[in-house]
Amino acid sequence: MQTALDTTLELETPEHIAFRYQLAGPARRAAAYVVDLIVRGAILLLTALVILATSSVATADFAGFETGAMLLVFFALEWGYFVTFDVLSDGASPGKKAFQLRVIHQDGRPITLADSILRNLLRAADLLPMFYAVGVLSMMFDKKFRRLGDFVAQTVVIYEPVSKLGNRQEAGEGSEILGLPARPSLSVEERNALALFYRRLPYISQARALELADLVAPVFMERFGLKKTDPLNLLITLYRRSSPR
Amino acid sequence: MSESAVDKFVAKRRPTWEELSKLLGGKKLKSRPPREISRVFELYREVCTDLVRASRLGAAPATLAYLDALVSRAHSQLYSGGGKRLFRWGRFLREAFPRALRENARLFWIANVLFWLPFSVALWRSIESSTFSARVLPIEMLEAMTQAYKGNLSDGRTAGSNAAMAGFYVFNNVGIAFRCFATGILFGLGSAFFLVYNGLVTGAVVGHVVRMGGGPNILTFVCGHAPLELFAIVISGAAGLQMGRSLAITDGRTRLGSLWAVREKILVQILGAAVMLLLAAAIEGFWSPSPAPAEVKWAVGGLMMLLVGMYLAFAGRPSSANRERGASG
Repeated sequence: MQTALDTTLELETPEHIAFRYQLAGPARRAAAYVVDLIVRGAILLLTALVILATSSVATADFAGFETGAMLLVFFALEWGYFVTFDVLSDGASPGKKAFQLRVIHQDGRPITLADSILRNLLRAADLLPMFYAVGVLSMMFDKKFRRLGDFVAQTVVIYEPVSKLGNRQEAGEGSEILGLPARPSLSVEERNALALFYRRLPYISQARALELADLVAPVFMERFGLKKTDPLNLLITLYRRSSPR
Repeated sequence: MSESAVDKFVAKRRPTWEELSKLLGGKKLKSRPPREISRVFELYREVCTDLVRASRLGAAPATLAYLDALVSRAHSQLYSGGGKRLFRWGRFLREAFPRALRENARLFWIANVLFWLPFSVALWRSIESSTFSARVLPIEMLEAMTQAYKGNLSDGRTAGSNAAMAGFYVFNNVGIAFRCFATGILFGLGSAFFLVYNGLVTGAVVGHVVRMGGGPNILTFVCGHAPLELFAIVISGAAGLQMGRSLAITDGRTRLGSLWAVREKILVQILGAAVMLLLAAAIEGFWSPSPAPAEVKWAVGGLMMLLVGMYLAFAGRPSSANRERGASG
């Protein structure tokens, strides 16, 4: 397995196919945590209202039952909220869902109950001394952005944006590239640069490849009269067509 | 290789991708008719191949991202491997928990020393001197504790306040135990700290109340649940220490590999401790404040202690017949 330079995690399936997950960083996870905090606060408030509404007389005795119930709910929310959602909704608490995050086992399987319990118990260590400082520190020094709980539970948090297959992009761009000459005339220097770039592709991340391609592609787009072409696609095509076979 | 190959390929395969995408949306795979499930398997394999072909053909990054996401969605549904169920609770309580604890015996005793030594010192010092307990805890809290144990607790409380206190005990004590465990990830230092700290605080409170003359009250009150509760905290600490030790002493493994080797063991111990604490909270909320005479309470407390000790020491040991078979085999 090659190590990515940036925030992707490559996994190999039993079919010997590698696919990539995008790992989630501290900022997005912090935002998700705040949403979860609000949701938990709302649940607590709602429970309090329901308990208040259902108790008819505010005698000291009833107040005792109510306090007991509230403390239990508070306890369940503090230690059970994340575990419940991890198991019921495939590693995504409401906050994580809102930010398109999901917790998975590091080998790509969905998170198990055991993973989830360990992961969330360890919050008590990650949130020390305040505001999850230990957890954030741990994420900063780990390539997979794992906090201590993730290390113990063998989990990672991934970012899963809803991905759509665009119509326009494939058709439009493909036909434009079709117009390229079958044997584009490039200088030796240009061919060498393209070859070097092509050989480096497996070792750099997609985002970095695109970034590099963006720098060079305009030169060729202007020369061949192209308007809307994916830069990376263009460079690869140019390389393939110009390399002697 | 001509460029139109990508477009032709995408156009040709697209219906397959969309079919898989549709099958994955909506209901969980498990609750689908069998035909659909096997269809998902078929499609998944095809799309796996498509992903490789697409990247070979030099498809656009957006297309590859789409296929990556599709494969990962299918993968996590197909390879979910029944982990929802933790373990069989019967087996867990009968064997797994006491066994895991006995395997961790050395750290269990160390955790005991870390807790009971500060406890004893604080207890002795705060009975002896009038200033010691105030140095450990805020004076208001000590006042409140003294007030609480001034009268005989066994007749003052109603069912309602029992419920309130049970809720508080769950919230407070289980929280303490979980923290005591979790902070063990810091090479065991956190667990050690919380063991010493909780021992000190508990000892100071009991000592203070005893010095103010509430001794018989508090001891009769706690004798039913305290052993269960305090040993559960010690066990949590021991599990935390084990986690810390696995990071420090790796026995030739990588640090993470060493941590993961004890993963199941520490999970079993902390869950066992949680069960003990819930039990203790129920006793503390409903039995300890009951109007039963002190003699009965002490008898019950002693019996509890004996049962818990026997359980932890003997439950899940192989029978002698099994042992012989194990030794000869």
